[in-house]
Amino acid sequence: MGNLLEIRAVAKNYGPVVALRNANFTVAPGEIHALMGANGAGKSTLVKILTGVISGDAGTVKLNGEEIHFTSPDNARKNGVAPVFQDPALIPDLSLRRNLRLTNTNITKFEEQIAYLGLKINLEELVSRIKLPILRMIDLARALAHDPKLLILDEITAALPANLTEVVIRVMNEEKARGNSVVFISHRLSEIGEICDRVTVLRDGIDVDSFNTSEGDEDRIVSAMLGSKITSDESKNRSVSTGKEPLLAVRGIKDGDKLVDIDFEIYPGEILGVVALEGQGQDSLFDILAGEVSAKAGEIHFSNKKVEFSHPADAIKLGISYVPGDRKTALLPQRSIRENLALTKFRELRSWNWIHQKNEDSLVDKAVSNLEIDTRASSQVKRLSGGNQQKVTIGRWITTGFDLLLCFDPTRGIDVGTKNQIYKLLSGLSAEGKSVLLFTSELREVQLICDRAIVLYNGKVQGVFNAAKADEELLLNAAYGRN
Amino acid sequence: MKLKINRSIIALWIILALTFLVTGLVDSYFFSIPSIGITLQLAAPLGLLAAGQTIVMLTGGIDLSLAMIATGAAYIVSVKSESGLFISLAYALIFCVVVGAVNGIAVGVFGVNPLIMTLSMSAILIGVFTVGVSTFLRGSSRMPDLLITASSGLILDPITWPLIIWIIVGGFVHFSLTRTGFGRVIYAIGDNAKAARLAGVKVWQVQIAAYVSCAILGGMAGIMLGGQSGAVAISLANSYLLPSVAAVVIGGTSIMGGMGSYSGSVMGALILSVLSYLLATLNSSEAFKQLVYGGIVLALAWVYSSISERK
Amino acid sequence: MKISLREQYWNLSILGLVIILTVWRSNQLPVFGSYEIKTIILGIIPIALLAMGQSLIIIGGGINLAIGAEAILINCITAKYSEGSDFALSLRWALIGIVISVIVGAITGWIISQSGIADIVVTLATSFVLIGFALFIQPGPGGGVNLDFAKYFMGGEDSYIAPLLVLFLPILLIWLPLQRSRLGISFYAIGSSKDAAFLSGVNVARTRVSLYAVGGLFAGLCGVSLTAITQAASPFAVISNTATLNSVAAAVLGGVALAGGVGDLFGPALASLVLYYIPTIMLGYGIDPAYSQIIQGALTILVVLVGGLLRARGKR
Repeated sequence: MGNLLEIRAVAKNYGPVVALRNANFTVAPGEIHALMGANGAGKSTLVKILTGVISGDAGTVKLNGEEIHFTSPDNARKNGVAPVFQDPALIPDLSLRRNLRLTNTNITKFEEQIAYLGLKINLEELVSRIKLPILRMIDLARALAHDPKLLILDEITAALPANLTEVVIRVMNEEKARGNSVVFISHRLSEIGEICDRVTVLRDGIDVDSFNTSEGDEDRIVSAMLGSKITSDESKNRSVSTGKEPLLAVRGIKDGDKLVDIDFEIYPGEILGVVALEGQGQDSLFDILAGEVSAKAGEIHFSNKKVEFSHPADAIKLGISYVPGDRKTALLPQRSIRENLALTKFRELRSWNWIHQKNEDSLVDKAVSNLEIDTRASSQVKRLSGGNQQKVTIGRWITTGFDLLLCFDPTRGIDVGTKNQIYKLLSGLSAEGKSVLLFTSELREVQLICDRAIVLYNGKVQGVFNAAKADEELLLNAAYGRN
Repeated sequence: MKLKINRSIIALWIILALTFLVTGLVDSYFFSIPSIGITLQLAAPLGLLAAGQTIVMLTGGIDLSLAMIATGAAYIVSVKSESGLFISLAYALIFCVVVGAVNGIAVGVFGVNPLIMTLSMSAILIGVFTVGVSTFLRGSSRMPDLLITASSGLILDPITWPLIIWIIVGGFVHFSLTRTGFGRVIYAIGDNAKAARLAGVKVWQVQIAAYVSCAILGGMAGIMLGGQSGAVAISLANSYLLPSVAAVVIGGTSIMGGMGSYSGSVMGALILSVLSYLLATLNSSEAFKQLVYGGIVLALAWVYSSISERK
Repeated sequence: MKISLREQYWNLSILGLVIILTVWRSNQLPVFGSYEIKTIILGIIPIALLAMGQSLIIIGGGINLAIGAEAILINCITAKYSEGSDFALSLRWALIGIVISVIVGAITGWIISQSGIADIVVTLATSFVLIGFALFIQPGPGGGVNLDFAKYFMGGEDSYIAPLLVLFLPILLIWLPLQRSRLGISFYAIGSSKDAAFLSGVNVARTRVSLYAVGGLFAGLCGVSLTAITQAASPFAVISNTATLNSVAAAVLGGVALAGGVGDLFGPALASLVLYYIPTIMLGYGIDPAYSQIIQGALTILVVLVGGLLRARGKR
């Protein structure tokens, strides 16, 4: 019995940038195979070549022994290779039904898959009204409705809450039982060992290691990705500040949608984690605190004074800075690293005059070195890897100065090396006396870097926990509303 | 990034040189200093219009009412010229600021699409001035002498007053875009308005500033055009609208915003001005002129687009 | 294929406005019979066809600022060669004209896809080129058409059936089937999100070409109708520019979102009636047509504003 998928010596260049050098990747039938690698290692490129989004410069791709060259994801889908991309391939202004018509998906089969995934959806609903995690599942259902031999899941669990992640795992196992295979791309190390049979690690455009998960553990994966041993996490001195005045106190916040009555405090020098299942209003909470959106009811007290924001500039003035979850929202793609880092300096009219070049230079250089930002592709920020981009979004606030940093899932989709850097950075900020409100979809981060954590459920704060007690099980239960 | 800009500017220089040479080959008189002087003089208003259009296009917008703003300003100056030069210029300035502000508020505060807004504003202005000519704007359509000199006066071949004005104003525009906070926020909101807002920038303020600056530059151009032709008619700046957009596009500014420069637009304006000279010299029929103009603008934009894509 | 609720409401509002304005106009005129109705329909046929073509292109995420020029070109071609001809020849030239228009549209779409230049810029340039061609073919006003052929369009003395058909057949025969077909859905797809469209298996480049080609079809129909109604060629840039502006205004008034992916063709067809009535009614009161220009401009802005606000609230 031959291999289902055989990728040999594939190479791809984007001008001077080498995305893939000599990548090999083999998937057996009935296997769940993890594809790992730091951002920039070549995973997305490999998947794009396999699914026909782009074409490779060299190398061969064989499906069941036959060489293939897909011209588009549609073409791939028709031949048994079904991708589920990070950005769901659904047209926002069309209804689900019309979207399915576009991909020639059999409606009955699709509905079967939806039921199988345990979801309820309305086919006439406009895609733009459906939330991202559900859209991911719909994309998955659609892929499954085409009876794929090879299912490719690109960071699917990244935006999914725990309950839907379980469903995806179940689906993968059932595909495997049927003799089909799954290529699973994820940055969540803990998932790999549990779910997958084999792991292939890419680094700098080459496959550097490939092994059965029974033969190796997380450490082996990470050292293959980084090319070095992982640094063990230093356990932070958790001093929960009591008796001090809270820096930020939130009372009775209501957003007219998911948030009903939100109450919590955050103290100076504290990292407060926020945990929630999908759609609990966590993004709305952050938008409100950042001044982007107004709450329908409730009060915000900052440094003991009641505050109201009509524009993000108001929040920034007080010392609240916002690092959004979506890097596309936070960055100016065509502008340079310097312009992105210095952006916050120009928010007031009086700053519209002549720029002091030297001042700006020192500011930018400081941020770049503090965060170890790789400035090679500095002319346009869109060329940076995800991890670097994230550092730039955080970096611009370092130069501005703040008391409270709102971070929404900052490590989502980021490689392990950069994640560690961000953890170190946040810990450093807290040591300086700054506070961080951190929403994370990776539960273990709470014990890793937070002092305390709050869990949102049903529009309220379900529980407030010290990090020492907040292991994944406790948090998950609270997130489900179980006490 | 430095290398990228250099390559594009080099491409533009080459195209300008080619156009220059071809025109000179067709009409050898073109290579003479006086005729270069006249070409530059006639290019100046286009250069000013392109400056306004550049600012607005960098924010991801466009100003299709610019021709009527230009004409309107010229009209106001000529009609009010009996009250004195400064007063008439002040009226024109107020007009530009008001129209620009309306455009800017509609786009920045109410989120109206710039294409639609400025297109409709253009229709409104045509209506207003058509009616105005026979009512509240009755008066001389002749431009004051000082302005005529400023628009076409010769200093020393090929340097003319309009050229000097263009250099000064253009230089100021270029400096603002590259070296000031204003320039930074213009590029920022064109590149990603949401990110700019989250970083604390009040996007609507920038939009209003952009459209007002554009309108003022347009008004200057209109007054210059009026001075060059001596008298003002409603169609004064009509034939400059497409060229103002074309110059900016050829010069490398993306119509989606966030990328580009005024220096490119200057090159674009020069190329188009030489082209006009060429077409006029060939004494071609109206049909031929339209064909060649449209065809060449398309070809130039295509050449430029494929050069920058190759990087 | 259902029209979305929002689009239904919008169309109903426009319909309401049309009814109000029709009543107003009918009060203005001493007589309001089939002849008057026929005049109205004939008055809006060209602009409605152009509006539909432009709306389709905008739905597909593009815009064609040369659509008026396309119509004028076809008008000139058909009028020049149908002068003094018999019915069959006029008909043949009408069909040739439409085919040429589709090809011109396809070429426009091809240029936009291949060159990567923004559609606004490409179509601004092609508007010049097409008027140039029109002037070549017909340097000044002139031309004509077979009168029997014209009658098919214009209908008999008091009958407005023929013009009504000319107005509605394109919607029935072209738009309704298109909306249900995969091609029609692809238009919405590329207008809504090109990336998602590609990932959904749409050949974006080819769909774009088809988009502008179908837009060209409507422009060709407009040109032919101009020939039949005016029985002459009018190669004026002013007319083509005004017509193009009106087509965009009608699209916007008809509920088509400039960003693409939203809208249908009924709304713009109705909206062109509104745009026709405003200057006509005002002229009936002896008001300077310049004022109606101001009102049209202001109305368009208002509608876009309201539409934008509604859309923003709907997304919450």
